[in-house]
Amino acid sequence: MSEIAAKTLTRPRRRLIASRLVPYLLLQALIVIVTILGLRLLQPGDPEEFAVSDFSARENGTMHAVTLPHFTASRYSLADPPLYTAAFTFRRSDVGSGWSVYLPRFSNAVEVAVNGVVVLDSRRDANANRPDRNTPQIAAIPSSLLRDGANDITVRLFVWGPLKGFLDSVYVGPDAALRPAYETRALLFVTLPVVFSAWQSILAVILAIMWLMRRHEPVYGVLAVAMVLGVVQAFVPPPLPPATTSRLAAVLLASAPIESALIVVFGVLFFGWRWPRYGTLLFVPGLIVFVVGLIGGPPLPRILFLVLGIPTVGLCLFLMACVTAAALVRRQDAASFTIGCAVTIVLVCWVQDMLTVLEIVSNDRIFVSRLSYSAMLVAIGAGLTWRFARALNQVDSFAGQLVARVAEAEERLKASFAREEARARAAALANERTRLMRDLHDGLGGQLVSIVALSERGHEGATITEAARAALKDLRLVIDSMDDIGGDLMLALGSWRERATAQLRPHDIALDWRVATPQGLPLHPELRPWHVIQIVRILDEAVTNAVKHAEARHIAVSIETLDDDHGPYGVISVTDDGKGFARADNCASGGQTARGLRNMRSRAARCGAVLDLSSDASGTCVRLQLPQRFPDSDAAAG
Amino acid sequence: MSEQDETGEAITILLVEDDAPTCWRLHDALVKAGYEVRSAGTLGEARSAFGKAAPRVLLTDLRLPDGHGIELIRETRQRFPDTEIMVISALGDEESVISAITVGATGYLLKDAFPTDIATTVRDLVAGHSPISASIARFIVRRTQNSAEPSPGPVLNTAKLTPREIDILWGIAKGFSYAEIASHLGLSRQTVTGHIKNIYRKLEVHTRSEAVFEAVQQGLIKL
Repeated sequence: MSEIAAKTLTRPRRRLIASRLVPYLLLQALIVIVTILGLRLLQPGDPEEFAVSDFSARENGTMHAVTLPHFTASRYSLADPPLYTAAFTFRRSDVGSGWSVYLPRFSNAVEVAVNGVVVLDSRRDANANRPDRNTPQIAAIPSSLLRDGANDITVRLFVWGPLKGFLDSVYVGPDAALRPAYETRALLFVTLPVVFSAWQSILAVILAIMWLMRRHEPVYGVLAVAMVLGVVQAFVPPPLPPATTSRLAAVLLASAPIESALIVVFGVLFFGWRWPRYGTLLFVPGLIVFVVGLIGGPPLPRILFLVLGIPTVGLCLFLMACVTAAALVRRQDAASFTIGCAVTIVLVCWVQDMLTVLEIVSNDRIFVSRLSYSAMLVAIGAGLTWRFARALNQVDSFAGQLVARVAEAEERLKASFAREEARARAAALANERTRLMRDLHDGLGGQLVSIVALSERGHEGATITEAARAALKDLRLVIDSMDDIGGDLMLALGSWRERATAQLRPHDIALDWRVATPQGLPLHPELRPWHVIQIVRILDEAVTNAVKHAEARHIAVSIETLDDDHGPYGVISVTDDGKGFARADNCASGGQTARGLRNMRSRAARCGAVLDLSSDASGTCVRLQLPQRFPDSDAAAG
Repeated sequence: MSEQDETGEAITILLVEDDAPTCWRLHDALVKAGYEVRSAGTLGEARSAFGKAAPRVLLTDLRLPDGHGIELIRETRQRFPDTEIMVISALGDEESVISAITVGATGYLLKDAFPTDIATTVRDLVAGHSPISASIARFIVRRTQNSAEPSPGPVLNTAKLTPREIDILWGIAKGFSYAEIASHLGLSRQTVTGHIKNIYRKLEVHTRSEAVFEAVQQGLIKL
């Protein structure tokens, strides 16, 4: 069951891989052909009419005729190098400018003498002797040396390996005819590598900075190291026998295998894979060259480089080609495609160089892999920069989106907050309205109803007046208590004092007002209108009882602030000199008084206050002890 | 018995009230106390009554059939600075009373006040004692306190009040009598009365532009 599923899964996948890989490989084959053709076409031409090809060579004491280009053995005693001798014809009459001798390609070094006088020794220019660079040489022949007619030219070829010695055709002729060919080769094989190396060093710096700022992306660091190695190889002067250069310089010159292994690491990381642990084996040949060269000293690095290094470079290029092909199959993007094509070109160049070294292909021994490799690195660097810029753009657009999203969320939050606030306000308003309605219902409503009832029963004006006045008083109380008094109950009591005084004046009762301190009562920030209404109603009830039922002549209100362990609290006392409600209970209005007292107690309880009533024949005292903190909710109201 | 002023003439009162029973009630109480009372039911009637002679006291309701009592108070204040002005109010609510004070009224009279209280209030007013109620004093001192956000209700400029005057207003708002306030603050009772007159004067807006501004604030003039 699962096998079938696996098969059905893998089959379309294989088809997909094939459908992507085959066109890619075909394209690479095309690139290989184009590269080979391009290398043939771009082969720099030389002025063949001035070629001197027929030499007699003396190698190891034996003389024989040779035709240049000519390969020799890979190693000779520097004291007895191969000596090539030829003759050329010079006619003073048909020469306008001076003559020169031009050597397009040789390895490792040459010493040219005309008529026995040395005119050129390439050993003086260290870079000219690098076997991996195709450095040409040109030297002017002093006209005094030249004889009309036949002249001798001798070329000593110094060879110190690791490759076989090689001498391309020698050109002798007017300088004006030879120099353009020399300039072309110098541009291609001397200037261009320097330009590439400079470019590489700049990219190395940029990539190193990128890696320093983004340590979690080692891909930049790897490429930076690879480029630094390339630059070092290009600028360290090669050793020139018999002088020996430092061991470090020698191994650095042979660091190409490490460099190519680093490029493979870069490829793997760049395309998003993890670097496999066994992949480190790729560095082993390079490290062997490095370590052995460091310990053994020249010429070991050169020999090891030839044996181990160059195949490693080839292997790395092949692996890199595989990596890019796999990446292309998986990602189908421009980066993998571009790098893949570049690797193919470099690989073709490397194969061509190998064939040249092995003398399978005659190519005038022009090595192109180093040049193409530098070009590839520059392409990769440009690609990375492009990717970096694109990532920056993505970050920008992401930041923009983020800002928009945050603004949106903020807007939503604000709206919901406003909604919540409005709802809370509405709830508070509804609460307040409920309390107000209850207060109006308790007082004003009842009084108005009783006015209606009294009028209907034809009662005389006095009773109706009393009920109407009570209703008005209650209305004023409710309105008054709605006012913001900032938690100072004294402000509410001040108004109440005015109303009570006005109420008592017709009864000819004096209201004695005693406030212990100017402050009066402690401040209660939590005081709400409904607390005020309850307290004022209690005081109203006490005064009304004193006037109506106890027939008092004097009423005293005293206000004081007491203190206990928990803080200050207020006490309001209403004292009268009436006959007390114990006796009043016996009268007809006794039930009403009892109800009034019950009301007072319940109102006090709702505010968290303590009501004390003491009454005897000499008077009544209503003592209202306010809480230290008024309750938030009207618990007793429910 | 007839109430007379310093010059011996009878004290004239112009009573402006559109509700007839209320008008009768106040009229009766004042006549009974010996005042010479003229009644007007509308703003127009009140203005024509002014044409004859300026009354000593103007008692006016605020909501009148053909206009607002505030206009009448302002006109009176400008034309007859000597006339004492009081608002007649059903509830004595700050909203209407403070508006009247800012244009020149001195205190208010409750419509349901007992006849004796009505007479006493007017007598005090004529005698130069400007009464101020606890709730009005409370309103004013609350305005001197919270300046952070604009409070609801009429605009009131309390900047000119001195700390001493504000202390006195606090005392009144808390229900202390003038005598108690005087003893708390170490003043004489007469000084307290003088301070209260000053308070009224300071709350009044004097310039024409101020008055216009106030009127716009109160919605009396629509721009």
